[in-house]
Amino acid sequence: MADLTVIDDKAAWEARVDRLWAARPTRWRDAWHELTRNRLALGGSVIVAFFTLVAIVGPALAPYDYAKQVLSDTLLPPLTRGHLLGTDALGRDLLSRLLLGIRISMAVGLGTTAIALVVGTVAGMLAGYYRGWVDRIVGGFVELVWGFPLILIAVLLIGAIGPGLVGVVVAVGFVNWAGFARIVRGEVFALREKEFVASARALGKGDLDIMIRHLLPNVVGSALVMGSYYIAIAIIAEAGLSFIGMGAQPPLPSLGQMINEGSGYMLLNHWLSTIPGIVIVLLVLGLNVLGDGMRDVLDPRLKGTG
Amino acid sequence: MSRSEIALEVKDLRTTLFMRDGNVDVVRGISFRVKEGETLALVGESGCGKTLTALSVIRLLPDPPARVTQGQVLLAGEDIRHVPEHEMRSLRGDAISMVFQEPLTSLDPVFTIGDQITEAITAHRKVSRQEARTLAAEILREVQIPSPEQRLKDYPHQLSGGMRQRVMIAMALVLDPKVLIADEPTTALDVTIQAQILDLIRAEQERRRLAVLLITHNLAVVSQVADRVAVMYAGEIVEEAPASELFANPLHPYTQGLLSSIPSAAGDRKHLYTIPGRVPDPRALPPACLFAPRCPYAINRCWNEHPGLVATDGHLLRCWNPQPFTALQAVEPGRVDPSVAASE
Amino acid sequence: MLLILLISSVVIFYALRSAPGGPSGGGVLSPLSSQEVRQAYEKRLGLDQPVYTQYFIYLGHLARGDLGTSLVNGSPIVELLATHARNSLVLGLTALLISYVIAIPLGVLAAVKRNTWIDQLAMGGAILGMGIPNFWLALILVYFFSLRLGWLPSAGCCDPPQLIMPALVLAAEGTAVTMRMTRSSMLEHLRDDFVRALRAKGLPEWEVIVRHVLRNALIPVISLTGLRLGWLVGYALIVETIFRWPGVGYLLVDSVLRRDYPVAQFFSLLLIFFVLIANWLADIGYGLANPRIRVA
Repeated sequence: MADLTVIDDKAAWEARVDRLWAARPTRWRDAWHELTRNRLALGGSVIVAFFTLVAIVGPALAPYDYAKQVLSDTLLPPLTRGHLLGTDALGRDLLSRLLLGIRISMAVGLGTTAIALVVGTVAGMLAGYYRGWVDRIVGGFVELVWGFPLILIAVLLIGAIGPGLVGVVVAVGFVNWAGFARIVRGEVFALREKEFVASARALGKGDLDIMIRHLLPNVVGSALVMGSYYIAIAIIAEAGLSFIGMGAQPPLPSLGQMINEGSGYMLLNHWLSTIPGIVIVLLVLGLNVLGDGMRDVLDPRLKGTG
Repeated sequence: MSRSEIALEVKDLRTTLFMRDGNVDVVRGISFRVKEGETLALVGESGCGKTLTALSVIRLLPDPPARVTQGQVLLAGEDIRHVPEHEMRSLRGDAISMVFQEPLTSLDPVFTIGDQITEAITAHRKVSRQEARTLAAEILREVQIPSPEQRLKDYPHQLSGGMRQRVMIAMALVLDPKVLIADEPTTALDVTIQAQILDLIRAEQERRRLAVLLITHNLAVVSQVADRVAVMYAGEIVEEAPASELFANPLHPYTQGLLSSIPSAAGDRKHLYTIPGRVPDPRALPPACLFAPRCPYAINRCWNEHPGLVATDGHLLRCWNPQPFTALQAVEPGRVDPSVAASE
Repeated sequence: MLLILLISSVVIFYALRSAPGGPSGGGVLSPLSSQEVRQAYEKRLGLDQPVYTQYFIYLGHLARGDLGTSLVNGSPIVELLATHARNSLVLGLTALLISYVIAIPLGVLAAVKRNTWIDQLAMGGAILGMGIPNFWLALILVYFFSLRLGWLPSAGCCDPPQLIMPALVLAAEGTAVTMRMTRSSMLEHLRDDFVRALRAKGLPEWEVIVRHVLRNALIPVISLTGLRLGWLVGYALIVETIFRWPGVGYLLVDSVLRRDYPVAQFFSLLLIFFVLIANWLADIGYGLANPRIRVA
């Protein structure tokens, strides 16, 4: 028989294993994957940051007064001297109007979503945490509003209070909070069962304290991701409503409204409508991509499932 | 006595996982044979590669990332490793079938049992739906499912676990294949049902002269139905012998360890033995005996040379320093009570 | 549900009447009309009575099946209902059909060929579809297909060529959402255990995917249809207005802007009712599609 001496050569074995590990080729494809995955968030945030900047500073830098009509200079094409983007049918500088329009869109988008987010999160937390009759009322309300088409509500609301940005803001906020509430409620439902809530309760912490210090941080991530998408929805809604005449009233240059005004001139002067449209598309795209990127960062498991 | 045909032969099978940070061989040079009417049990802990071996045989590896990179798979003498996919497809379910571990998730939840069995039939035979349905009812009767015509209209979630597994077996056998691969067929079932299912497999095997490749980690199951046993460790076969021989005279330290960790109804042990250590990471395997770090009898040679598979009187062994199984009495096959034996 | 309708009707009734600026009466009145003319007009139409009285009178009329007439042109609302509802249905159903026919196969393809160029193209298209405002899309399409190429008419009803562009625009966002949903659902179910078992039975791959995986994957998609219908109502308001497609949406927008109370009331209630039904159907649909719930 072979050598029966039992030698414990484990050390040599382990040294060998370590050497083999070290010799494995590292693939730089890993790093590449990290980069592209976060590229979404990066690209999206660049676009959104750009537009936010424009919204804040833009109108101050505008070359002309957005409402100033120069009837001798109507319908100038882009790249004419003095008018980078041309003028509209009343001789108003398109660039100046565009800058203000961006501000209006961003303001409406951010404003309504901020409100919706706060209201929705609070409602969702209350419903998810207390359950019972609170959930039935709030939850029922949420379910009801959630499926409702934004535009329908907006049209009806504006029918009541008259056209204008106020109506748009209220209408959008009225519907969108439900989306946040739904998500937050679902998450709080699940989180509530976890041990750290029970242990906090056992320590005698009050409900409010638990909600703020423990549940809220967990929920904020999803809320932000949704927020990005909802800002985009709000912007499109505002543009749409302005387009059909129910939103911002002239001479306020909402992007949607500019598209409407330009629609009659599509044949010869299409830039009047095309340019504001492209701006909306870029802005919305940036927001959607940012939302996707944030979602990937927060929960990479969902990546690739659309 | 006529020589039995070899229904399934696997030679030197090697399966590799192609992953982002390197390629890993998870099945490394496996060879075995299963004769008609014989049950070969492939035994090992989870992660040793036995399921991947089974999937490699029937060519259902998830590709990417897994692929068979070497070896031959001979079904009734024909190498099926390289046949075109559509031909392989016609062999699956017809000449070679597979039954999986979890019967609930292996059945499509939105189709009735009847639909699923008949589609297995019509995929391979030109028969009318009526005829197929009749055949389905017959096979259900054969696997002892009561009121088969009724069951045909049921959905999977309406049946119990044991019945679902019978359905899976029925589906696998309805076209009378030569080979049945059963991957942990009883692991997800109640203990009392386990015995029934194993009896069923045994009965069908005798009736049809079926070759069965049984994958399991449960030695009690092995003792009930296996004719031959092959023990796998880290992607290799480390011991192979007829079942009675293996239980009576286990030679490989790993096999001995497995047998020692069964609480036996016939034994009078004070405490259970568990094999120390863990299965080695397949990504970093040194050229030595892969079991050495966990082996009580490891000698110098074991740390430096990879042992080959050596045959002695029909008993294969991959070990430099086998010791007799003196630690405990030899365990008789068939005497192990399945209700207390799950070696995991 | 009835309760909601009731509450909505009260809200709408009050809201419409409290809007700034009174009815224009379709040109009979203008902001310059004198007080007496206006008062006479309102008296004739019973608009000078307190609002709650008007409300109950209205309810009474409804109960008798008298839907009222338009303040603008005097046509009975029943007639308006027949024609406009039919137009909207045609448009809506066409859009729905288009979106499913495109979205589902595309979603399946994208899932099966995940991460290939087909997938990336489909996803890119979906992102665009969700990002482009539908009215702008409408303008662009009109620019190309009507103004430049002259292939399609830019407005009006009801021949097939006039239907194409509005239906496409209406379908756009829904198609994108449905496609993404189908794709992600397919990806999930492609990982199910039974897929492997089906292949082990020797089924052809296309049958595994289309007959089995898709059937499972479509469950959430189908149940979404109810909600989709609701959203479609919203978008239809805009699309119909742009293309002057005389449907309920167009009518509603128009009547609200022109303070045509009876019309606005009735049709807004109608739409709300429709959305509620659609949401309710969504719940039922889910139960039907998933046998595990159905055959409890």
